[in-house]
Amino acid sequence: MRAMPWRLIKQQVAVQFRTFTLDFWSLGLFVIQPAVFTAVGMLLSHAAGNAMPDLVYTVIGGGIMGMWSGIVFTSSFDIIGDRRNGVLEMIVGSPTSLTTIEAIRSLTNVLTGLFSLGLAFIAALAIFGYSLRNVNFWGVGVSLLLLLFAMWCIGVFLANFLAWSRVSSTFVDYLEMPVAFLCGFMYPIRVLPVWLQVLSGVLPIRWALQAMNESLLGNRDWSFLVTHWAVAIAISLVFIAITRWLQVKVQDSIRVNGELSSI
Amino acid sequence: MIKKQIHSLRIYFAEAWLSYHGRFAITSPFGYIASKLGFPFFLMLFFIFMGKFVGFTNPVYIVIGNVLLIPASNGMSGVTLAIGEERQWGTLSYVLGSPAPRLPVFTGRAFFYILDGFVTAVLGLAIAAGLFHLDLSQINFAMLLVCILLIAVTSSGLGFLFGSISLISRDGWIILNTFLSALYILVGVNFPIESLPSGLQTVAYGLPLTRGIMAARLALQGAGWSAISHLVAGEVLMGAIYILAGYLCFKLIEKRSMASGTLDAM
Repeated sequence: MRAMPWRLIKQQVAVQFRTFTLDFWSLGLFVIQPAVFTAVGMLLSHAAGNAMPDLVYTVIGGGIMGMWSGIVFTSSFDIIGDRRNGVLEMIVGSPTSLTTIEAIRSLTNVLTGLFSLGLAFIAALAIFGYSLRNVNFWGVGVSLLLLLFAMWCIGVFLANFLAWSRVSSTFVDYLEMPVAFLCGFMYPIRVLPVWLQVLSGVLPIRWALQAMNESLLGNRDWSFLVTHWAVAIAISLVFIAITRWLQVKVQDSIRVNGELSSI
Repeated sequence: MIKKQIHSLRIYFAEAWLSYHGRFAITSPFGYIASKLGFPFFLMLFFIFMGKFVGFTNPVYIVIGNVLLIPASNGMSGVTLAIGEERQWGTLSYVLGSPAPRLPVFTGRAFFYILDGFVTAVLGLAIAAGLFHLDLSQINFAMLLVCILLIAVTSSGLGFLFGSISLISRDGWIILNTFLSALYILVGVNFPIESLPSGLQTVAYGLPLTRGIMAARLALQGAGWSAISHLVAGEVLMGAIYILAGYLCFKLIEKRSMASGTLDAM
């Protein structure tokens, strides 16, 4: 049995933070953009005549939006950047597999996204006086872990999807809003038409997020929560399985034509 | 004199075409359509459901606002990229070293983006009208087209400004994106300007687009020239100010770089 490559993880996380995370671009993704979406939600609520915005969906939901934008763009720019800078070949040729490197990078990106969510929580608590009295803490904790896991699975999937084909980047570039819209990042999923609710079921984030939002609102219906967690885990594992299949395709492609630049 | 004018005109259109063609020549049809209509469409849906949840009962307001933002975001990002990428691809020194007059070289970058934004917005409006069953029975179509074209032109002023900023900052594109996000709040796209705090209302009226979007909304309700002329005049004035500011900014940056001989450091 192989031990966890802690030194590799530590080094990769450090490199990822320094090269991709701590810059103005990330500030825009993780802080400014969610703040703008939250402001739109609050002003829409004000225009609708509400005295207070909905703190769970409008304020904390902005943090989820920031997390997601961060995952989509950092995970896709990792591979696009490697390809543009000509280091993708070196990564594929190195003893550490592309899979491992992408997994650690995506983990860093997901953990960085927590900053966005944390800021939104602090804003909800400190500025708007969000009360924690009814919160189902266990439900929130488990749901948040599963939300991170679901986002990590999608991050790894996107990174490998981009490595698989150059054309896929065209698709990934426009993925941010459709997923945010389908998963109900800033509104409950019930406001969508039924057919869109069914469509959003293929995304693990939707299930974990729904469980987290319900827990924040005080839902203690464990059968509801456990069902949502189970579905989130199952669909996340499907994404992992597809990712593994893509990795095999990439490696086969390299072996057959020897053209690293074409992947 | 006439020969000089024709020369400038030729440079203007050559710049316009090369700049636009160079940007989209390698883009796939899916990428092209998705960049024009895909993102704005899903963003609009996101705001509509956000509004539905908080009880904002006028989704058509959001639909029209987001469609009217298409020429603005198209013009701003297109022009910013057309100018800023000179630096990224290392061709800035050739542009500044050429004897071509600066005005057509600089302003020519906007022509096709304005046209593109205009066509995309009209197309977007037609699609939105079909999807959301917009009531267009009262529409003053000619006035609406004038307003959309005006929005596309005036927003290119912001594009010139951000394009010039991207010549002196590596973060020009990010600054533009942040600003574009702020437009969802500021210019009356998703809710009326009156819903903003008074300080932000002042900012909103200091930007192009605000009056143009208001005028277009009135034209959709059938308003004639007399009802929207003051808004159109204000929009023209704001657009002219921003286009002039962008051009002066470009000239200033060029002068400074020529004096210091540090084109790459710009």
